Amino acid sequence: MKCTRCKAPAVIDIRRHNAAFCRDCFLHHCREQVRKAIHEFDMIQPGERVLVAVSGGKDSLALWDLLIELGYEADGLYLGLGIGEYSEESGHYVRPFADARGLTLHEVDLPTDHGFDIPGAAAATRRAPCGACGLSKRHLFNSAALEHGYDVVATGHNLDDEAAVLLGNVLRWETGYLGRQYPVLPAEAGFARKVKPLVRLGEREMAAYCVLSGIDYQVEECPMAEGNRHLGFKDVLNALEDKSPGSKAAFLNGFFARGHERFQTEEDHVELEPCSECGAPTTTGGRCAFCSLRARAAGEVPVELRVGR
Amino acid sequence: MKVLLRNPRRELEVRGPMSVAKLLARLELNPESVLVIQGDTLVPKDARLVDTDTIEIRPVISGGAA
Repeated sequence: MKCTRCKAPAVIDIRRHNAAFCRDCFLHHCREQVRKAIHEFDMIQPGERVLVAVSGGKDSLALWDLLIELGYEADGLYLGLGIGEYSEESGHYVRPFADARGLTLHEVDLPTDHGFDIPGAAAATRRAPCGACGLSKRHLFNSAALEHGYDVVATGHNLDDEAAVLLGNVLRWETGYLGRQYPVLPAEAGFARKVKPLVRLGEREMAAYCVLSGIDYQVEECPMAEGNRHLGFKDVLNALEDKSPGSKAAFLNGFFARGHERFQTEEDHVELEPCSECGAPTTTGGRCAFCSLRARAAGEVPVELRVGR
Repeated sequence: MKVLLRNPRRELEVRGPMSVAKLLARLELNPESVLVIQGDTLVPKDARLVDTDTIEIRPVISGGAA
């Protein structure tokens, strides 16, 4: 197999582009896809400060690397989730990455700074751990961006993540969520702008980017995500993609181009009030969702977890 | 050839020669969901693997909440 761009021996094929690339041309392809996404969706303006949400996984470390490569001023924020050995290990990938490149890394530790962890929150609320994790991440990334004066929060959601979320939203006709699913969420009072610059790149491309760039990342899956609905949607979409390359990108990009705006009128425009504890905007008129979660979880005994190796 | 698989980590011995595409089909793995790694580079689907090769088949799917 030859590289589509330079005719050298290829190391990876991207079926949806009907293309194959050598190492250097593949890294160029990834940079170009991120550059196009940022431009197409007006994600980041020149001179703006970006806070990258980093987990130690392939997507967030590749995103941070790509933004730096493209010349953006991007710092990282690592959130310790308290998921036993898994969380301890994830930090061991993030810190050396930042140190080796001389990048600024902020850290927030849920157990130390907020008195609870994700297993404890899941047990206390009797809900799926991914819900408590997502809620905590959204709240803490936003509050850190506001506190440290960043213009934008960038997350490592890739094409596969967004296509799986879209499938879940369509299966249940979650019209409110469909109206908000977009690669950019503009800044509002109390909320930093949120962007997803990897939306044109698939999950396999992100893992390949890390391998070919020499980025060491946490390969093991979060023990709390096992069997979740999101992973099931990815399996279904990958089965489709195997039979019909380009299906995932067509599904997602078609929604952004022709579907998304049709659901925007479904959005609920409600007045927001400051949380009684942390001051973050909330619809509840009391504690925000994060402070409610923290209050319920703080009294729980954390669940002991072991990560399979 | 020696094949390292992840999640959970395990090792298989597979007799070559055979292409990467054929190996993935034999292991019933979707090529969209994995990378085949040899040393610090990737092995494309048409590459021929022989008995002396050592490769890693790494899953690329990650879950969790947005």
